[in-house]
Parts: sequence; C-alpha cells; structure tokens
Amino acid sequence: MLAYLVRRLLWLPALLVIVAFITFALGYYGPGDPMAALLGPRYNKEVAARLAHQYGFDRPFLEQFFNYVQRVVRLDFGESIKYRHQPVTRLLGPRLAITLQLNAASSFIGVVVGIGLGMLAAWRRGQLVDRIIIFGVMLGRAIPTFVAGPILLLVFARSIPLLPPGGWDGLFSPSAVLPVLLLSLGPMAIFARQTRAGMIEVMREDYIRTARAKGLTEKTIIVVHALRNAFIPLLTILGFLLGSLVEGTFLTETIFGIPGMGLLAFESLTGRDFPVIIAITLLVAVGYAMGNLWADMLYGVVDPRIRRA
Amino acid sequence: MARTTWLSLLVAIILLGLPASGAVNAVAADEQVLRVLGQDPPTLDPQLSGDSASAEYIVEIFSGLVTFDQDLKPVPDLAEWWQISEDGRVYTFHLRQNARFHNGKPVRAQDFKYSFERACDPATASFTADTYLGDIVGCRDKLAHHANEVQGVEVVDDHTLRITIDQPRVYFLSKLSFPASFVLDQENIERGGDTWTDQPNGTGPFKLAEIQLGERIILERNDDYYREPKPQLERIEFELAGGSAMVRYEQDELDMIQVGMNDIERVTDPNNPLNQELRQVESLGVFYIEFNVNQPPFDDVKVRQAFNHALDRSRIINVVYKKTRPVAWGIIPPSMPNYDNPDLKPLEFDPDLARELIAESKYGDVSEFPDITFQVLGAGGATGRVIEAIVASYKDNLGVDIEVQQTDWATFLTDLNRPDNTNQMWGGEAGWIADYPDPHNFLDVLFRCGSSQNHSHYCNPAVDKLLDEAAREQDNTKRERIYRQVEQIIVDEAPWVPLFFEVEYWLVKPYVKNAYLPPMIMPKFQYYYLEH
Repeated sequence: MLAYLVRRLLWLPALLVIVAFITFALGYYGPGDPMAALLGPRYNKEVAARLAHQYGFDRPFLEQFFNYVQRVVRLDFGESIKYRHQPVTRLLGPRLAITLQLNAASSFIGVVVGIGLGMLAAWRRGQLVDRIIIFGVMLGRAIPTFVAGPILLLVFARSIPLLPPGGWDGLFSPSAVLPVLLLSLGPMAIFARQTRAGMIEVMREDYIRTARAKGLTEKTIIVVHALRNAFIPLLTILGFLLGSLVEGTFLTETIFGIPGMGLLAFESLTGRDFPVIIAITLLVAVGYAMGNLWADMLYGVVDPRIRRA
Repeated sequence: MARTTWLSLLVAIILLGLPASGAVNAVAADEQVLRVLGQDPPTLDPQLSGDSASAEYIVEIFSGLVTFDQDLKPVPDLAEWWQISEDGRVYTFHLRQNARFHNGKPVRAQDFKYSFERACDPATASFTADTYLGDIVGCRDKLAHHANEVQGVEVVDDHTLRITIDQPRVYFLSKLSFPASFVLDQENIERGGDTWTDQPNGTGPFKLAEIQLGERIILERNDDYYREPKPQLERIEFELAGGSAMVRYEQDELDMIQVGMNDIERVTDPNNPLNQELRQVESLGVFYIEFNVNQPPFDDVKVRQAFNHALDRSRIINVVYKKTRPVAWGIIPPSMPNYDNPDLKPLEFDPDLARELIAESKYGDVSEFPDITFQVLGAGGATGRVIEAIVASYKDNLGVDIEVQQTDWATFLTDLNRPDNTNQMWGGEAGWIADYPDPHNFLDVLFRCGSSQNHSHYCNPAVDKLLDEAAREQDNTKRERIYRQVEQIIVDEAPWVPLFFEVEYWLVKPYVKNAYLPPMIMPKFQYYYLEH
C-alpha cells in the first residue's frame, strides 16, 4: 500500500506539468489578448506592447512556460493581470477558504444524508417510503441551480425573511444555510441512489442469506455486513467529490453573492487573467488527484483484500 | 443510535453558530454610516486604474488639482486657483495652503511633480497616462524611454506648480480631474512597495479603513478634508458580495442600489411604494452599432446610411428597454454640459429611402453584398433581445441576412483593436461612457483619423481640421458650434447607427439626503448625509 501511495504521489508533479502545459498552450494560442481585456476601450497598441513586455507575454511560448514552471516550483504563481500587483496566492487564499468550507459542508451533508436515505430506501424497497425518498432526491437534483437558488431566496429571504438574501458571514452563519442546502442536493441524490442500488444488490448475496440463517438481527446484517460492501462503489464517487472541494461553484456563488473561487475563475476566464486561470486549474488538478488518492486508500480500509493486493 | 446522536450534535452546532438574521448589516439609527454595494477594485492605485470599479473608490480616497462641481464644470480641488497663459499652453496652479494627506503631511507642489513623473514613467505601466497626461510636454517622451523627466511639469515653489502642454487644448483641465493626475505620497509608495494601496495615504474626503477583496471595503471620513463640502458620513460600507441587491434593499440592508432591467417595470410603476425612492440619472454614455468603413459593403456611405434608415430604433429601444432609455439620433448624450444640438438632422426610420440608397450604392442590390457578420458581446448563450430585433429589422426592411457572431469581452476587444480587423459590424449592446464631460471625449477620441479608439476606421480630414479648431477655441459658443458641425457630418457619413443613451436607475432610501448621483464617476459621497 505504501509503495502504491508513493508511486501515485510521484506522478503528481508530472500530472501538474501536463495540466499547466495544456492550460498555458490554450491561453497562448487561443483567441483573446489579455492586454485587450485589461485595457478595454482604452486600448492603444503602444501601451499594450509596453504592458505585454512587462508581463513577459512577448516572449516565445516555451520560454514563458519554463519561466512559469520555475516560479511555481517556488510556490510563486505570479501576479494577477486584472488585479494589478496582487500576487495570485493572495487573491486565491481567502476565496479558496470560502469555497472549501462551502463544498466541504455541503458534501458532508449530502453524503451523510444521502447514504442514510439510500439505506432507508433499500430497507423499505418498493414501499411508499422508498418511492418518496427517490422521487424527492431526484427532484432536488433535477431542478437546476439557477431555478432552485432564486426559489429558495424568494421563499426564505423574501416571503418569510428568515435568512439573509446572500453574502458570506462564515460557515456558521445564516448566510451559509441556503447555499449549503442547495449544493448538498447533488451529492445527496447520487449517494442515495448509489447506496440504495448497492444495498439491494448486496442484500441478494449468499453471505447475507447465511447471516440471516445464523439468526442475526436485520440491523446487524445491514450495518456490519451489507453496508461495508455496498460502500466500495461509493468510494469512487467520493474520490471525485473530494476532488471537487476546491472547485468553485459559479452559479451558486453568483446567486448568493458568495466571494468564492467560482466567481474569481469566471472573471479570470473572461478577462484572460492567465496567472489566475493557471493557478486555479492546477489547484483543481491537485484536488482531484488527492481526492482520488484518498478514495483509493479508503478502498483498502473498507476491503482488506484490496489493501493486501 | 450513535450516528443519530452525532448528526444531531452537528445540527445543534450549526444552529448555535447562527447569529440572529437581523444582526447582519445592523447599524445604529443615529450613525452616519452608508451601506452600498461595490465591486472588487482591480487596483486602488490612481495611475494604474482605468476601470470604473476602481475609480469609484479612488475618487473618494485621492484627489487632484481639478474636480467637477454638480453642473460638471471644472472647479478647483487641491489647486485653489489657476492662471492660463494667453497662448493657452501654460497652466499655473496655486495649491491650497491647508491641503494635507490623510496622515497630516502638507501637500506640496513637489508631490505633484513626483506623481506626474511616476505616472509617465514606463516602469509604472500606467495605461491611462498616455491619454490623460500625454498632452503635457515631455510625458510621452518619458513613456517612450526618450526622456528621464517630464519637462512640462515644474515646481515654482512649495505651493505653485506650472504645467506646460504641447498645444492649446481647452479640455485639458477636464482631463486633470481623472485619477491619473491625482497626487500621491512618495513616502507611502516607497515604503509600501507593490502593495502600498493596502494603506493608501490619500488626500480625498474619505480614507481607506478596511479592504477585504471579495467581501467588503470600508471608507472612513477624513476629518481634515481641505474644502467644502466637508464629508458628513462617518463611514461608507461597500459590500462586495451578497446576492440579490433588490431583496437586500427591501430588507433595509442597503441604503441605495442601482436597479437592473429585471426590476425596472416594478420600480417605475407609480403604484409601487418603491417608486417614491426611484432616482434617474442620465449618464454620459451612448450605445451604438459600429461599421468597419474599410470592409464591404460598409465601404459605401450609401449602404451605411441605408442601414441607419432601415432600423426602427424608437420601436426597438422602447420595447426592449421598456421606455427607460432615450433613443439616440446623434453621438453626444443630451446630458453633456454646455452642449446641445437641437438642429441635428438625424437619419430617421425610412425603409423606402433605405432601399433607394442601396439601389444607388455601388452594390446596386443587397444580393451583391458579401455575407455580413455582426459581432456582439456574449458568453455563448442566447444573444440579447436588442440584437435579435436589429437582425430581424434588417431582414424585414432590406432583405439582408445577417449572421451574429458572439464573442467574449477579451476576444471582442482583441478583434476590434487589430489593425487588419476584417469584421464588418459590431456593437449593439456595447457603448462608450465618457471619461470627462466634453464633446472632445466623443467626437475627437472616437472619430479622428487614426485614433486608437476609432475602430470604424472612419477618416475625414475635414472633420479632423474642425476638431483641431475646436480644441483650440476658447470661446465656448464658437466651440459648441464647431462640434455641432462635426456631429452632423459624422451622423451623415454614418460610421455608426446610434441606438440609445444610457440612463441609470437608482433606489435611494428617503433618509439618505443630498444623494447626488453624477452622470459619470466623480467624488460624490462628500455631499451625502443621513437623517433617520
């Protein structure tokens, strides 16, 4: 397991270089000049050339790329083009903290409630409870964020003004309730469906029948024998979910006015703020790589056969 | 059971962590604290800013020699008075004796000299210095590495500054109101390094108390402000995040907001209580369709005129913008001070005349036109209703099929600024907002041969001659007459189809008094006070 872990970690820098190279190339060869975005209607080609020289954008592609990699190794992601003289790390830091809190809380609620509902649905398979649960979670999942968000705001901030209509005052504040609830609907539906399907499949296995024949209680059978095995396919999804913790959620952040990574990523893309775009891309790549690594390690915890392999 | 307990505990922690909803943005009734929405400023360095989001804060924290009064007339700011030489090239500014930076240090002519030198230093990488300070002798040379000093800025004594410009330019004083000309504290910049704007030592009516990008910016009153009106608000809290502005305004979390198109009908309804709080501001902005006069079929003036006559602007603008914007028949917004053009002859809606003009053009018929592409701003979604209406009008009235190409901001601008730009027409939902209230900022900047902002490549030497004449003319009446003539020529030669003039709608709580809403970005909060 340790050797596997080391091997996977050694791959990470190579993965990041590949991701950075692709992002860099897209920026370099793609349409849209960052200087045009920066200067806007005041564009003047002499000024644009002067600024491009200052940012090093007039150098050959490979030279720019290698300079960038050298800086990133020292954890220097450069300065933003739009937010002048602002180091990228300074821009990302507070936003990343907000996005992480938001995603972690909604993922946690989504996973815990989703697994719980999935187990209940599997246990009451074919009954009204099962149908209500599956219909409910799928409805939550099916309504797009840009519809569900404003409805939640309309109900809980305008009609019954229980909660603020947006902003971010920290995770343990009323401002977090609606966005966390909205973001938890996605993982909740996926985990409820997967848990239900996994449990139903596992409950048909011979060893469950054997456990029943031994006279074990239904609760012991579900918790000790069935759930553990039903968990394995869920871990793959969990890996992706962990990876997405650093990813901004543009729509939700826009609707609720939350200053997270999503809004910054969108602004950076439209403004061709390459240093910020590449830093965010690398961060998301690290997030997914680490998330999947965690999931792989959890396979071993849940199923000792994998650990030994 | 254990899991149930654990979950209950989590829910309890979350619920206990919740402050009361009403506590958000709560301000005591007797406090002079104004709560408004803001945007993240890309910079607070006056010489690096060129965007409205930054300028909104900069004009309150810093100041310069000249500013505008509420009639948009240039008035003394840090300069107490000035003299202009007879040839109109030398400006001598006499600084206020009582002017101080926020840290109490007196403002001297040497501070201005330092500030202008820094703005024109290529190492500063200011992209507005060329436009706003480029008229000063030596600034462009320094920007181009051909000089080490801006010779046109001289310190006469601690409180006297002399500025020499390359030729008489009546609008020069207006340019000095722009942030690139503001005074900066050398010590503040040298000590603070690249992040000196975290604690800027300005001279404006408000000081920066807190900045949290993405969250909030708080400005505090400068009690030692040097001129009237002295600021009365103790604090201005700019919320940089926070969801629906309208809901927050209705919940009394914000004291004033700009109203978006979605809420316009509601607030303009006289039966809605919010209508009492509605304020309307005619901005110095114009929206238009622009033609590339070098590209067929718009290389023929008759085709361009036909495209003007074929568009029922009144109908489109009144329907799409719900009668909230005046239709533009000319170039210069009606809110422009000291300018009016009542005799302007517009290219009015007349589809028959439009078809005649096409028949008279070198193309003879629309079937001889090449494919026409209309480049518009957008991010991959459906185009706006104005664009749809424009395309449909040209199809109905001229029988021309126009293909819409949607591009994002960066690509749109990159294409526009390419010298070999082959796009034929663009705009519709893009426009020009004035930097200073002078017809020069529209007619000269946008239509002079070879101007960086003249994207249509329209060029008429006769117009340039008139523009030169207007720039020199000291008599306002004569100057207005020249600009009227220029505007008429441009309307007739039709490099644009002007669409509408920008109007902003604001909701302002009744207890916010003296809430001056200028048609352009300039200091305004020093006029405000609250009366709960």
